[in-house]
Amino acid sequence: MKNSSSFRRLLIGSTYFWMAGLALVPYLILLGASFLERGEGALVSSHVTSANYLHLLSPTVFSMALDSIGLAGIAALLCLLAGYPFAYVLAQSSAKLQPLLLLLVMIPFWTNSLIRTYALVMMLKADGVVNTLLLAAGLIDAPLQLMYTPLAVFIGLVYTLLPFMILPLYAALKAVDPRLLEAGRDLGAGRVQNFIKITVPLTMPGIIAGTMLVFLPALGMFYISDILGGARSMLLGNYIRDQFLVFRDIPMGSAASVTMTLAMGLLLLLYHLASRRLGKEMLQ
Amino acid sequence: MKRMLHSAILALLALLAMVSSGLGAAKTDKVVNLYIWSEYIPEEVIAAFTKETGIKVNISTYDSNEAMYAKVKLVGKGYDLVVPSSDYVGLMRRENLLLPIDVKKIPNFGLIAPQFTNQSFDPGNGFSIPYMWGSTSLAINTQVVPADTVQKTADLWKPELKGKLLLPNDPREVMGIGLKVLGYSINEKDPEHLRQAFEKLKTLMPQVRVFDSDSPKQALLSGEVAAGLVWNGEAYIANGENKAIRYIYPPEGFSLWLDSFCMPKGAEHVEAAYRFIDYVLQAKVSAAISESMGYSSPNAKAFDFLPAAMKNNVIVNPPVQDAARGEFLDSLDEKTLKIYEDYWVKLKTK
Repeated sequence: MKNSSSFRRLLIGSTYFWMAGLALVPYLILLGASFLERGEGALVSSHVTSANYLHLLSPTVFSMALDSIGLAGIAALLCLLAGYPFAYVLAQSSAKLQPLLLLLVMIPFWTNSLIRTYALVMMLKADGVVNTLLLAAGLIDAPLQLMYTPLAVFIGLVYTLLPFMILPLYAALKAVDPRLLEAGRDLGAGRVQNFIKITVPLTMPGIIAGTMLVFLPALGMFYISDILGGARSMLLGNYIRDQFLVFRDIPMGSAASVTMTLAMGLLLLLYHLASRRLGKEMLQ
Repeated sequence: MKRMLHSAILALLALLAMVSSGLGAAKTDKVVNLYIWSEYIPEEVIAAFTKETGIKVNISTYDSNEAMYAKVKLVGKGYDLVVPSSDYVGLMRRENLLLPIDVKKIPNFGLIAPQFTNQSFDPGNGFSIPYMWGSTSLAINTQVVPADTVQKTADLWKPELKGKLLLPNDPREVMGIGLKVLGYSINEKDPEHLRQAFEKLKTLMPQVRVFDSDSPKQALLSGEVAAGLVWNGEAYIANGENKAIRYIYPPEGFSLWLDSFCMPKGAEHVEAAYRFIDYVLQAKVSAAISESMGYSSPNAKAFDFLPAAMKNNVIVNPPVQDAARGEFLDSLDEKTLKIYEDYWVKLKTK
């Protein structure tokens, strides 16, 4: 008994140590650095200031942040539009087929997303697979400009993040009680009305969860817009990286990073509150 | 059980301490720890050096100046030689991260051509010894546009290059184009000149299809862009795959890069490091490195040992009068860096 309890303490202790030492402490250092000034020669000086946060509100930086949010928002919307029908078909398919289809959704996850992004370059470039096939089929005369366009960025983001949308939607759709739909039909609702009035509200937690799971990583995935979009627009992720590496302004990079984390935290909190309210409404 | 666990942990710690102290106490001058760009020194050269001197070379590699700088700045110990580019030599020297180097201890230092010594980033070579150099200049895919479309930097603004231009994803190099076109130095610090360069560059942005510093050859080779600013190593590979890719040195001037050996403050095997630098500086060795890696040697005598194909390749060995228009990148002070940053963000947001 005593042995197992000390073993347990060791396990739990190491988890706490891991979280505190490798997540909390570095984050607190980041938070502290965000209120300092950059130092001449040193990484930071000990002068306390809120100038870094004010600089984030300057028109240039602010519009850059809005661009990033817009991009992530569109990516989340596209994923929802593509993911909902997919998850719907998945949830309706025969019980035998479902594990296989789910596996197919998951398999791309096993490859690093950076490698998959470079694979997309091979597909989309002027002498890539897509253009070669279209040219050979005689459908186009000159290669299409696919690479280094917003279209390529959205293809990359949707391709990478779609599973994050499909899985929560699938779980939510599976949980919809078929008897409710039957009751709807008995009361004279058509398929469309059933879908809008029963399925969509019941899967709302899944829709919100999926949207969050796509939106938040999309904010940080600057390498996709760099590689596929030609790095023509700066995103929050680029900005933070450049502050740390290129301009050596650690306090500024920290402030941008802390703000981004806070914004994400706020969104998660809203999600938590919304899903609790939805759950309560459903119980009633 | 608890006691057993304790003693096991203690034993482990003791073992660790033994191993690490053993490593630290390695014989002072029988080893040198080299921290260098990946794929930047041939293994044969390392093997030959060890055979001749009995000094073992431990190599670790980096792929950006920033990564190397951060490691030296934050950890400091463990490396005897690093190979920063010119601007980082300037930065690390000014931040007191480097040991002074006595060129008198390096007999072969005299072989280095004078245009590579005594530069603004390290006057008198008190802290750095040149290793390899090259340029960042204009490449053209002559299958996409006629070769005479781009003959000077100002040609990048030509309407026929709209949406067909590649630039490095690097604020210094991009600002450098604007500065050079206006006749200023790429190390310009005057805020007014920088503002003029920014205004000039704003009109270049619609021309740009892609910013890429990692593998710009790919966009050039696939015909995705017609012209671009690339470093000569990329142009060399692209030209090897497709002769239609040409590389020119514009009359306005261009930026040169020079990577040099430096000793970080925490270097422990200084004598071995001196011997290594001197070995690599020999004309024959330097030529072998240049041939195997495709970069130019700063060694004035190395040229004679190069095969003819390499000698005549202007991408690797620009004619002297062309190279003379090049300028080495130096580090900037924090205030100027902030100006560059502001313009960089502005260029990249609509």
